[in-house]
Amino acid sequence: MRVGMEFFIGLSAILFCLGLYGALSKRSAVMILMSLELMANAVNINLVAFSRFVTPKVMTGQFFAVFMMVVAAAEIGLGLALVLALYRQTQTIEVQFLNELKG
Amino acid sequence: MPMPHVPHLLSAITFLPLVGALVVLVLPASWARWTTAAFMVADLGLVGVLLAVFSRTSPGMQLIESAPWIPSLHVNYLLGVDGISVTMVALSALLSFVVVLGSWNTEDRPKTWFIMLLLLESGMNGVFVALDFVLFYVFWEWVLIPMYFIIAWWGKENRSYVALKFFLYMLLGSVLILLGIIAMYLHPAGHTFNMMVLATRQFPLGFQMVIFLVFYFGFAVRVPVWPFHTGHSDAHIQAPTAGSVTLAGVLLKTGTYGMLRVALPMLPQGAQHWAWFVGLMACAAILYGSVVSFWQPDLKKMLAYSSVGHMGFAMLGIASGTVWGLDGAMVLAFAHGLITGLLFLVVGMIYDRAHTRMAPDLTGVGKQAPVLGGMLSFAAISSLGLPGLAGFVGEFLVLVGSWQSNLPKVYTIVAGAGMLMGAAYMLWVIYRVVYGEPAEKVARIPDATAIDIATAGPLMALTAIIGMNWGVLLSFVNPTITRLAELLLLRSM
Amino acid sequence: MNYIIAIPLLPAAVFGLFFVLPRRIRNRMLYLPLAAMAGSFVLSIPAFLSAWPGGEDAVRTGTWHVAYRLGTIGTGPLDVILRLDPYAAMMLLVVTIVGLGVQIYSLSYMRGEERIGWYYAVLSLFTSAMLLLVLAGDYLLFYMAWEVMGLCSYLLIGFWFTDNAARNASIKAFLVTRVGDVGFAVGLAIIWVTVGSFDFHAVLPAATTWGPGVATAVALLLLFGAMGKSAQFPLHVWLPDAMAGPTPASALIHAATMVAAGVFLVARSLPIFEVSGVAMHAVLLIGGTTALLGATMGAVQYDIKKVLAYSTISQLGYMFLGLGTGNVAAGLFLLLTHAFFKSLLFLGAGSIIHSLHTQDMREMGGVASKMKVTTVTFTIGALALAGIPPLSGFFSKDLILDSLWAGHHYVAFAVALSTAMLTAFYMTRLWLRVFPGEPRDTKHAGGHESDWKILSPMVVLSVITLGIGFSAIVFAKFIAGEAAWPQLVMGSTSTLVALVGIVIAWVLFGGGRDTEERTARSSFVYLLVSNKYFLDYPYEHIALGYTRFSEGVNWFDRVVINGVVNGVGVACRQGGGLLKRMQTGRVQTYQRLVLAGVIAFIVIAVYLRGV
Repeated sequence: MRVGMEFFIGLSAILFCLGLYGALSKRSAVMILMSLELMANAVNINLVAFSRFVTPKVMTGQFFAVFMMVVAAAEIGLGLALVLALYRQTQTIEVQFLNELKG
Repeated sequence: MPMPHVPHLLSAITFLPLVGALVVLVLPASWARWTTAAFMVADLGLVGVLLAVFSRTSPGMQLIESAPWIPSLHVNYLLGVDGISVTMVALSALLSFVVVLGSWNTEDRPKTWFIMLLLLESGMNGVFVALDFVLFYVFWEWVLIPMYFIIAWWGKENRSYVALKFFLYMLLGSVLILLGIIAMYLHPAGHTFNMMVLATRQFPLGFQMVIFLVFYFGFAVRVPVWPFHTGHSDAHIQAPTAGSVTLAGVLLKTGTYGMLRVALPMLPQGAQHWAWFVGLMACAAILYGSVVSFWQPDLKKMLAYSSVGHMGFAMLGIASGTVWGLDGAMVLAFAHGLITGLLFLVVGMIYDRAHTRMAPDLTGVGKQAPVLGGMLSFAAISSLGLPGLAGFVGEFLVLVGSWQSNLPKVYTIVAGAGMLMGAAYMLWVIYRVVYGEPAEKVARIPDATAIDIATAGPLMALTAIIGMNWGVLLSFVNPTITRLAELLLLRSM
Repeated sequence: MNYIIAIPLLPAAVFGLFFVLPRRIRNRMLYLPLAAMAGSFVLSIPAFLSAWPGGEDAVRTGTWHVAYRLGTIGTGPLDVILRLDPYAAMMLLVVTIVGLGVQIYSLSYMRGEERIGWYYAVLSLFTSAMLLLVLAGDYLLFYMAWEVMGLCSYLLIGFWFTDNAARNASIKAFLVTRVGDVGFAVGLAIIWVTVGSFDFHAVLPAATTWGPGVATAVALLLLFGAMGKSAQFPLHVWLPDAMAGPTPASALIHAATMVAAGVFLVARSLPIFEVSGVAMHAVLLIGGTTALLGATMGAVQYDIKKVLAYSTISQLGYMFLGLGTGNVAAGLFLLLTHAFFKSLLFLGAGSIIHSLHTQDMREMGGVASKMKVTTVTFTIGALALAGIPPLSGFFSKDLILDSLWAGHHYVAFAVALSTAMLTAFYMTRLWLRVFPGEPRDTKHAGGHESDWKILSPMVVLSVITLGIGFSAIVFAKFIAGEAAWPQLVMGSTSTLVALVGIVIAWVLFGGGRDTEERTARSSFVYLLVSNKYFLDYPYEHIALGYTRFSEGVNWFDRVVINGVVNGVGVACRQGGGLLKRMQTGRVQTYQRLVLAGVIAFIVIAVYLRGV
C-alpha cells in the first residue's frame, strides 16, 4: 500500500484536535503549553507533507518546518519561564485561577 | 509689488511652539514661564512678519510649502495661507500669548502647564495653515490633546468627567470629518488629499449633498451649533481661565474655518442646497444661546452660551453665501475671539479674587474694583455689538448679508432680535456684576494689577481699532472671501 | 474746510485720553474736556457760516464733505461720509452750545463726585457722537453714532450705579431704545440691498423710484428706530426713568440732543416717508398719540424732573406731528427751540434740586424769593414751553399748528391744540408749586442761589430762548423749508388755548391751593394717568416673562439636551457593562471563543462558496 498525502493530513488533523482539546480543557498551564506544542507539530507535519507531495522540487515547506521547530523551542522556553514566574507569584499554575484580566 | 519671500515661514510659525515645548521640557521648572513667553513672543513676531509679507491683493494661497510625506497615498506636507487663514493664525498666536500672561502666576505644575499651552498653540496654528487633508486632520486632532489635559489636570471639581465628555464629543465631530475626507479621496472626482485641488473639483450633486451634511455636522460640533453645544458649555465651566480663553477664542473658530475652507469651496452645490438648513440652525443657535445666557448666573457658563449665540451669527453669514455675510462671518469670528477671550480673562480675574463665578454673589465689582469693572463692562459692551468696537462689524455685515441672500427674510429678523437679546444678557451681566453696592464676597477684593491690565489691554485696543477701521481686518479677508463668494455663485448654478 | 473734522474729534480725543488715564489724574484734568468742547463750539461757528445762506442747493448737495473708508467689502469700498449741510450746520451750533453750557454747569453741579472725570469723559464721548450724527452724510455713520449715544445715555443714567433706581433705569433705557435700533438696523440692511449705498444723497433720490412696499418697509423701520430714541409711544417708557441720572446730563441728552436724534432721522429721511403715504400717517399717529399722552402724564407728576421728562416726550411727539405734515421746517424748528428752552428748564430744575436737595415738588415752594436768577430764567423757559408769544416756543408751535391745518389733518390739529393747553397747564402747575409762597418743608428750605457756573449757562440759554423765535423765517429758508409769520387767527387761538391752560392751573393751584389731591384722587381718569396708563406693566411682564422663560430654557438645556448627550454616554457604558462579562480573564474561554469564531468563518466561507 502506498502511503499517500491523505494519511499525513489525517495524522496532522488528529494531532491538532488532540492538542486543541488539551489546550481547551487542561487546567495546568504546563499541560496547555504541551498541547500547544502538539498543535504546532501537527502543523509541521502538514507543512512537510504538502511540501513533499505538492512541490517536491522546492523545499520551502521543509524549511518552514525546521524554522517553526526553532521558534517552538524558544517559545516553550519562554512559556515555561513565564509559568515558573507565575508560580512564584501566585503559588499556582492552574489557569482557572489566573483571571486577573477579568473585565 | 513683489513680496519678499520668506522660506519656511509657516513651518516656523507652526512648529516654533513645539520646539518651545521641548525646550521647556528640558529646562528647570522655574524657567518655564519666561521661556514660554519668549517662544510665544517669537512666534508672535513671526506672525507679524507673515502679516507684513502677506499680499493683501491676491485672493489665492500664499507662502506655499510643499514636500512629499507619504507618497504612496499622495499625502504631502503642504502648508499655505490665504486671507481666511492668515487672520486666524494671527488670532491664535495673539491669544496664546495673552493666555501666557493671564496665567503668569500659575503655581500648579507650571512646567507642564506651559508645555501644554505651547503644544496647543502649535496645533492651532497647524490647523489653519495645513492644506493637505491628512495633515489638517492631524492638527485637527492634535489640538484636542493639550486641551484635554488642560481641563483634566487644571480644571475645577468635576474636571475628569467634563474633560472626557469634551474630548469624546469633539472626537465624534472629528470622525465625521474623517469620513468626509475619505469619501472625497475615494471619489473618482477627488482622489487627492490636496485641499487646494479639491476646491477646484466638481463633485456630483448627490455626493455633495450628502458629504456637505457630513462635514457640516462635523464642524458644527466645534463651532458649536445648537444642539451640539453641551460639550463646550460644560468644558468652559470646569476649564481654567486659559483653557476657556483658547477654547472660545480659537478652537471654536476651527469650526467656522472648516466651513469656509472645506465645506463651502469644495461642496458649493451642497452648501447652496443646505443653506436654508445651516441658516435655520444658526438662527436657532442665536436665539437659544441668547435666551439661555440671560438667566444663567454662572458667568462662565453664561459666556459659553453667549458664544453659541455669537457663533450662530457667524454661521448665518456662512449660510448666506454673500460677500457681506462671509466677510461678516470672518470678522465676527475674529472679533469674537478677541472679545470672548477678554471676557473670560476678566471673569477669571474676578473669580481668582472673589472665588465665585455666580453673578448674584458678585454685585458691585464696579465700586470695589473700578478697573476690573471697567474692563468687564468694556468687554460686555463690545460683545453686545456697539458700533466703534469690533463686535458690531461682524453682526452688521451678517445682517446685511443675510438680507441680501436667498435665505428667508425671517432669518434677518431673527438676527436682529439676536442683537437685542445679546444686549439684554450682556447688560444684565453689567447690572448684576458691575453695578450695585458691593456684595459680601467682593467687599475686599483688590483691583486689577499691572499684569492684568497688560493682559487685557492689547485685546481691548485691538477691539477698538478693528471697530473703528474695519479695513484692518477686512483688507486681509476680503479678497479671498470675494473669490469664494463668486465661486459659490458660479458653481452653484 | 477740513477743520470741521475736528469738531467731533476733539471731544472724542478727550474721551480716548480719559479712558486710559487713572481716575485720580483725570479728575484733576476737567479743563481738558471743557477746552475741547469750547474748541468744537468755536469751530462750529465758521462751519455754520460756511453753510450760510443755505437753501435748496445747499441741502441737496451739501457744502462740504469728506469720506472715511471703513473697509472694502467685495469689490466695493464702504465709506462713511461726513457732510456739512444746513441741517448739520444748525445742529452743530445747538449741540455745541448746549454741550458747552452743560459742561460748565457740571463743574459746579458735579463737584466732589468721586467719578467726575469719568462723567466728563462720557459727556465728551456723547457730544462727539452727537456731532458725528448730525454731520453724518450716510445712514451707516448715522447709525453708528446713534448707538454710541445710546451707550453714553446708558452710562450717564447709570452714573450712580450703586443706586438701584439708577441701574434699573439704565438697563431699561438701553434695552427699550435698542428695540427701536434693531428696526433701524434691519432698515439699513434693506437700504443697502435696494440701493447699494448708505449715502443720503444716493438713497433719498433713489427712494422716489422704489415701490411703495419697500418705501413703507424702510420708512416704518426707520420710524421704529426713531421711536425708540425719541421716546415715542409705546417706546417712551424709558425716558421718565432716565431721570435717575445726573440732571445736567439729562439736560443735554434727554432733553436737547439725543432724544431729538429720532426727529432728526425722520427729518433727514422724509423723502422716503413721502413716497410711502402710510409712513407719513404713521408719523402723525405716533406723534399725536405721544404728544397727548406725554402731556397728560406730565400733568400729574410730583417729581420736577419727571414733569420735564414727560414734557419732553410730549414735545418730541409734537415734532413728529410737524414732520408728519411733510413740513421739515415745522418739525426741525421746534427741535431747535425745544433744545434751548428744555435744556434751560432742566438746568433750572437742577439748580433748584442742587439748592433744595429734593426733587419732589410737594416739598418745594418759595424758591422765587431766594433764587432770583433761577426763577427768572426758569420762568422764561416755562413760558416758552407753554407757547406764550413772543418766546420761541410760540413760533415753533405755531408753525406746526399751521401746517397741520393747511394739510387738513384736523384730528391731529385738535390733538396738537389740546396738547398745547395741557402743556401750559402742567408748566403752570409746576411753577406754582415751586416758586411762589413759602417753603412747604423746612428740611428742604434751601435758600442760596447757585454759583455762576450754574447760572451763566442758564442765562445764555434764556437769552437764546427769548430771541430765537424770530428767526423762524430765516431758519426755514436756511434748511429749504417753508415757514410764515404767525397769522392773527392761528396765533391768537394758540395763545388763547395756552392762557386757558394757565388759568385752569391757577384756579386749581394758585395761592398755595392744592385741590388736586382732594378732587381728582378718586377719579378713574386720574388713576389711569397717574399710573402712566399702565404702560409700564407690559414691559415689566415681558421682562419678568423673559427671565422665567430663560430659566426654563436653562432647565431644558441642562435636563433635556444635556440629558440626551449624557444618555448616549450612559448607554455606551451600560452596553460595555454587558459586553464585559465575556471578558472572564480565563485564557481558555478566549480560546473557545476564537475556535467558535474560526468555525463560524469556515462555515460562512463554505456556504458562500457553495452558493
